[in-house]
Amino acid sequence: MKALAVALYTMLELSRRRLLLVFFAIGAAGIAGLGILLKVFTSAFVASVGGPPGFEGPTPEQMTKLTELSFVSDLIGVLGVFALLVAFAIGMTAIYHDLESGSVVAILSKPVSRLEFTVGKVIAAVVGMVLVVGLLSVEARLVMYLFGGGLEDALWFQTLASVANAVTLMLIVLALSAWVNNIVAAIIAFIYNGAAGVVVALHQQMAGGGVLADNQVLHVGLTVLYWLVPHALVSSAPREIARQQFAIITAGDPHAPPVDQIVSSIPGGSSGADILWWFFVVVVLFGLLYLAVRRRQV
Amino acid sequence: MAAVVSVKDLRKRYRRTEPWAVDGVTFELEPGQVFGLLGPNGAGKTSVVKMIAGLLRLDAGEVSIFGSSPGDPQARAQLGFAPEDPDFPKFLRASEVLDYFARLLGVDQADRKRRITETLAFAGLDSERRQIRRYSKGMKQRLGIAQAILGRPKLLILDEPTADLDPLGRRDVRTLIERLKDSGVAVLLNSHLLSEVELVCDTVAIMAKGRVLKEGTMSEVVPQGSNLEDVFVQLVEANQPPRDHMPSFITDKGPTS
Repeated sequence: MKALAVALYTMLELSRRRLLLVFFAIGAAGIAGLGILLKVFTSAFVASVGGPPGFEGPTPEQMTKLTELSFVSDLIGVLGVFALLVAFAIGMTAIYHDLESGSVVAILSKPVSRLEFTVGKVIAAVVGMVLVVGLLSVEARLVMYLFGGGLEDALWFQTLASVANAVTLMLIVLALSAWVNNIVAAIIAFIYNGAAGVVVALHQQMAGGGVLADNQVLHVGLTVLYWLVPHALVSSAPREIARQQFAIITAGDPHAPPVDQIVSSIPGGSSGADILWWFFVVVVLFGLLYLAVRRRQV
Repeated sequence: MAAVVSVKDLRKRYRRTEPWAVDGVTFELEPGQVFGLLGPNGAGKTSVVKMIAGLLRLDAGEVSIFGSSPGDPQARAQLGFAPEDPDFPKFLRASEVLDYFARLLGVDQADRKRRITETLAFAGLDSERRQIRRYSKGMKQRLGIAQAILGRPKLLILDEPTADLDPLGRRDVRTLIERLKDSGVAVLLNSHLLSEVELVCDTVAIMAKGRVLKEGTMSEVVPQGSNLEDVFVQLVEANQPPRDHMPSFITDKGPTS
């Protein structure tokens, strides 16, 4: 119950922070703007696509489908980016300001354990993140009504994956901000996230049978690294969208390579092991955060 | 009578290379007693009260409140702590801060509302609607004292409670301490305002460089015909190297620039 009190008032504080509101407003405007622009573009130009007799390019219906696919792909990208921004905004403030301002002195002199305090802070941070990204996803879903249907599941599952990835990043920032300070924490988390992204991309290339797969040392090294970093979870949506795009583009081209080969370098849906690894990473990061709060002399 | 606070040979230092911030402090505090912990800046008073409140780890010695470790949430439920230079979540309002803390104290909903209203009125913040980030230091100090009494503590620790208060606020704090004392609450008061300490405290301990130089009832510490400030200055100066602390330029007779 005490953890819930900490969570409740941390969420109230977060809801009054301008940075978070600004990120949310930019995200909401961006998603709406993206959808409306694409709709205008589709209505104005795509319908008139065609050619002289014998033209073998995409039909207007195929072009509309391609536009819709690229819209969903862009939405997924935008949501992922905003989830990361929100992760930084919440991670840098949810616990650090209490620790640094001295608020924590009054809070921890009350009968609340440091574990309850940490749990409350993490609950607030995760709920805040889910609310902001969830609201943006709902908006994205509404914007999708401008186009055809059929890709809603792709959006939901990828949003879930984006939130999971942002939670990992947010916990890194939260934990580091309790050990050092929030600016240093954000810089380290940013670099680490980039490095982890490179490792995951290289691992994906290797798994796709590229040149990296031939080098045994690189193979082992990348596999070890892959299981050391909190690699991003992905749904099957990005690969499925790419598959459908390539299928439309290469339709009727007898010389086109198999679609499966083309999309093999795009990450497929995360495996059960990846999801278990995510849980493990979250538990470890929570442990690091708790240890920092427990050791803290206020 | 069982001691509310028992501190035995308490020691604390922040770095191995630094001298002890608290060096062998021992005292006890009983119900209804008002204990003044005095000392110059850096004497170790705040470190002592933070160890009693379970906020700092001790390096050696023992602290118990109500017979338990300060880390025990049950014991801390009976403690009210008004920190020096208090701060609170800056985007909350005073009533929200008190509601937050009342929930942490386990105060039930019906009682919570009544206590918050009365506590805000006591602190003079009942009509205040701004967020804490807009508060002056004095307003934060009032809220610091308000949140400390919210849980009806049996032990109240006040660390420099009147440093940023106006004379009316100081009088309110003095009256509060007297009322609490009458109802059996033990009060531990850290203050530089010796005239105030002299008015409200039964017992005092004067600290310097982490050590207790003198402890006893007010009549034991302050001889007749003297006052607490004279005793304090004599004791503290006797325990530090003499210093000529006035900058020479302020008495220069030359042209000013």
